[in-house]
Amino acid sequence: MKIRSHSETEKIEPQMAPMIDIVFQLLIFFMLTLKIIEPEGDFNINMPIGAPSQTNPDQIFPDIKVKLVADSNGHLAQVRLGQRNLGAGPDVFRRLNSEILKIIGYPGNPLTKDMEVEIDADYRLHYQYTIKAISACTGRLDEQGRIVRYVEKIKFAPPKPPNGE
Amino acid sequence: MKFQSEKPQLAEVDMTPMIDIVFQLIAFFMVITNFEQTAADERVKLPRDVLAKPPEVKLERELVVNVGFLRDSSGKKLDPEPLVFWAGENIRVGDMGAKFQQERRIAEAKKQDPKDITVVIRADAEVPTGAVQELMRLAQEAKFEKFALKAAQASL
Repeated sequence: MKIRSHSETEKIEPQMAPMIDIVFQLLIFFMLTLKIIEPEGDFNINMPIGAPSQTNPDQIFPDIKVKLVADSNGHLAQVRLGQRNLGAGPDVFRRLNSEILKIIGYPGNPLTKDMEVEIDADYRLHYQYTIKAISACTGRLDEQGRIVRYVEKIKFAPPKPPNGE
Repeated sequence: MKFQSEKPQLAEVDMTPMIDIVFQLIAFFMVITNFEQTAADERVKLPRDVLAKPPEVKLERELVVNVGFLRDSSGKKLDPEPLVFWAGENIRVGDMGAKFQQERRIAEAKKQDPKDITVVIRADAEVPTGAVQELMRLAQEAKFEKFALKAAQASL
């Protein structure tokens, strides 16, 4: 019979080296595959093939037409809402936003929820202005950061040839 | 005079804190990595907008089209014409029709309706709008109907 006299409780040292090797490998893998991406959102555009820009006869309100005019460098020269000139400059999309609100009455108005906005942009116009115009028609952010929808349906006017005005 | 009778002891380094930190780092990088957005091309500098919130429901079927410019390291355009970055190739916008037709055939072979597929357009902020419209027209010819325009979320 063995007697554990002076208990030699030697600590069993686990082999750390292989684990650390693998762990470093993992660390390097995840560091290299890291791609910092910004949150992206999208604006939906529905363009059915069959019915190009035919308005419903029972629609009370006509479509809102937003025309974006470009200068020779592709920057925004003028925004027109229907026949009205909203000008250009940094505030133009805020003006467009409030004009759209005036047209629809109030957000979520059942009478105007089927209204559509037609964006008619010059060929050269930089895409960022088109996105800004779409955004101004789609809605705005309220104080809590939620989106208040104005017009859901956005469509494009038929594309124009590159050099035509 | 001292004799070195004892064996030279190996200095044991305490590994525990290092392993702790390394595990923390691994966990951090694992959480932050996402392998989903592999279709996004970093050469495309998206326009920014405050309304561009990430969608709550992910689109079921999507076809991502990246449109941008070839730029040098300082961001100057090498070619004034926008190009579509498509599966490692750079294709002119006008030549995308064949690719869309090919995608439609692939979708039909997989018994999917092209009408259910959203064409997600990721266009650079400086691409002419006409090029984006041209792209949409070509996609429409291939029976795609739903489109989504991507924008990066801007802070207020």
